[in-house]
Amino acid sequence: MATRDAVLGYGAAGAVFLALWEAAPRLGWIDGRLLPPFSDVVAALGAMAATATFWQQVQLTLLETLTAFVIALPVGALLGVLVQESRFASLVFKPLIFFVFSIPKSIFLPIFILILGIAFWQKVAFGIFSTVFIVMMTTFSAVESVREDQLRVARSLDASTMQKILFVYLPSMTPVLLEAVRVAMIFNFTGILLAEMYASREGIGNAIGVWGLGFQIKELLAMVLFVSVLAIGFNEAIRYVEAKCEHWRN
Amino acid sequence: MPRMSQATASIRKPHGATMSVVGPDHPAADAGKTLEVRDLNHTYNVNGKTTQALKDIAFNVSAGRFLSIVGPSGCGKSSLLMMLAGLLTPSDGTIAVGGRPLTKPDPTRVGVVFQDASLFPWLTARRNVEFPLFLRGVDKAVRREKAEEALALVGLERFADSLPHELSGGMKQRVSIARGLVQDPPILLMDEPFAALDEQTRITMGDELLRIWEKARKTIVFVTHGLSEAIYLSDEVLVLSGRPGRILDRVVIDLPRPRSLEMMAQPRFAELREAIWHMIKA
Repeated sequence: MATRDAVLGYGAAGAVFLALWEAAPRLGWIDGRLLPPFSDVVAALGAMAATATFWQQVQLTLLETLTAFVIALPVGALLGVLVQESRFASLVFKPLIFFVFSIPKSIFLPIFILILGIAFWQKVAFGIFSTVFIVMMTTFSAVESVREDQLRVARSLDASTMQKILFVYLPSMTPVLLEAVRVAMIFNFTGILLAEMYASREGIGNAIGVWGLGFQIKELLAMVLFVSVLAIGFNEAIRYVEAKCEHWRN
Repeated sequence: MPRMSQATASIRKPHGATMSVVGPDHPAADAGKTLEVRDLNHTYNVNGKTTQALKDIAFNVSAGRFLSIVGPSGCGKSSLLMMLAGLLTPSDGTIAVGGRPLTKPDPTRVGVVFQDASLFPWLTARRNVEFPLFLRGVDKAVRREKAEEALALVGLERFADSLPHELSGGMKQRVSIARGLVQDPPILLMDEPFAALDEQTRITMGDELLRIWEKARKTIVFVTHGLSEAIYLSDEVLVLSGRPGRILDRVVIDLPRPRSLEMMAQPRFAELREAIWHMIKA
């Protein structure tokens, strides 16, 4: 079976990668101080996971990420629909949104700190700012993906506006919106971690920044590993749902 | 306004029996279920230029008849059908179904089947057929029962739980017909429903449609650009001119029923086809 072969393939590639990671520092191919062996990093993660501080940091960062996400996603999606559905708003705001989207968001971080300080809501605000534009842009294509003929069927059945939104627009947009959720989370998580690294006293980003400056590579990599697993897990979960409704697209 | 007043017994015989074809003025079997189009004109504006799309369209369709509308591309036949569906408001004129004016879509009086089956890909065949009833808040059990009846009518009861992407083009269009019939409207409008299908499927679907029509006893108004298809399926063919679309003639198809593919080789078939072709070409 193709999927089983693929899974075996991933597994093999992953195993080779981890084996190299383990062997390279041990055999002296790479300086062990810069890249400790995989098993040491896992051990460090295990030790960290036994402390309360670790979970406090994780909890804080996830709370910031989630807060920013549940605000940015509906706001971005709603604004996206409103702009796309209005001719006037499309003409005026779409170019602006594309302009702002192309600017690297990180350069605005100092301004956020000046205005909001370095506590919880600054992270959330920056997370929202990093996310909302990509959500809007994906929503534009989501609205465009709603098929005219399906709307016509709904009209021929005398569906109300609300029924059209709930039973035609929304399901029709779902595959593209899921993509928005997935990509938005990457932008959102990046924004939050960046804000934590740059100016914060707590959170995952802060911990990574501090360990980097203190040359605590093992702990740093352990956290990188943890964040990677988290991010990949979320991404793959959404991709799985996306694949389930792939056939909706045509 | 002339109204059908005289009610007669059903003009349709059971499937398999041949039937002599009656003229367009034959009184309806059920006068309450006729379609009446009066003095219909339609113009539209594009960039300040006014174009007349349809001119002086007037016709009646008696209950249970199969009427096709043919005409050159751009003659407004699809627009006319959209007006009959209540999806497009004519600039002038009236449309009445069952004696009552039709000014907006009413799926209980007029079912519509579009060129693309236009099923919702996230719903199973059954849920697609249930959809019109769902919108009207019909009870779940009733919905299911009606949908299954409609699916059985189009011969797809075994595919009730399939998703549209698992069905062939012809099957999708049959689901779409079931959806159009699920509220039991007296009239089914079809806008080039088989145009996107391959030749072989198109012929099979034609026979399938005739079978459904005989069984469901609906009035069908069928828009097509295929003259053979129109003649093969219909009791009457309404021939429209190029823009602005006017009614050139209403041709009674006096071929016996049930129709069979061999009839296409008969001289009468060729004669009818030739006559209509000449009208459109002129």
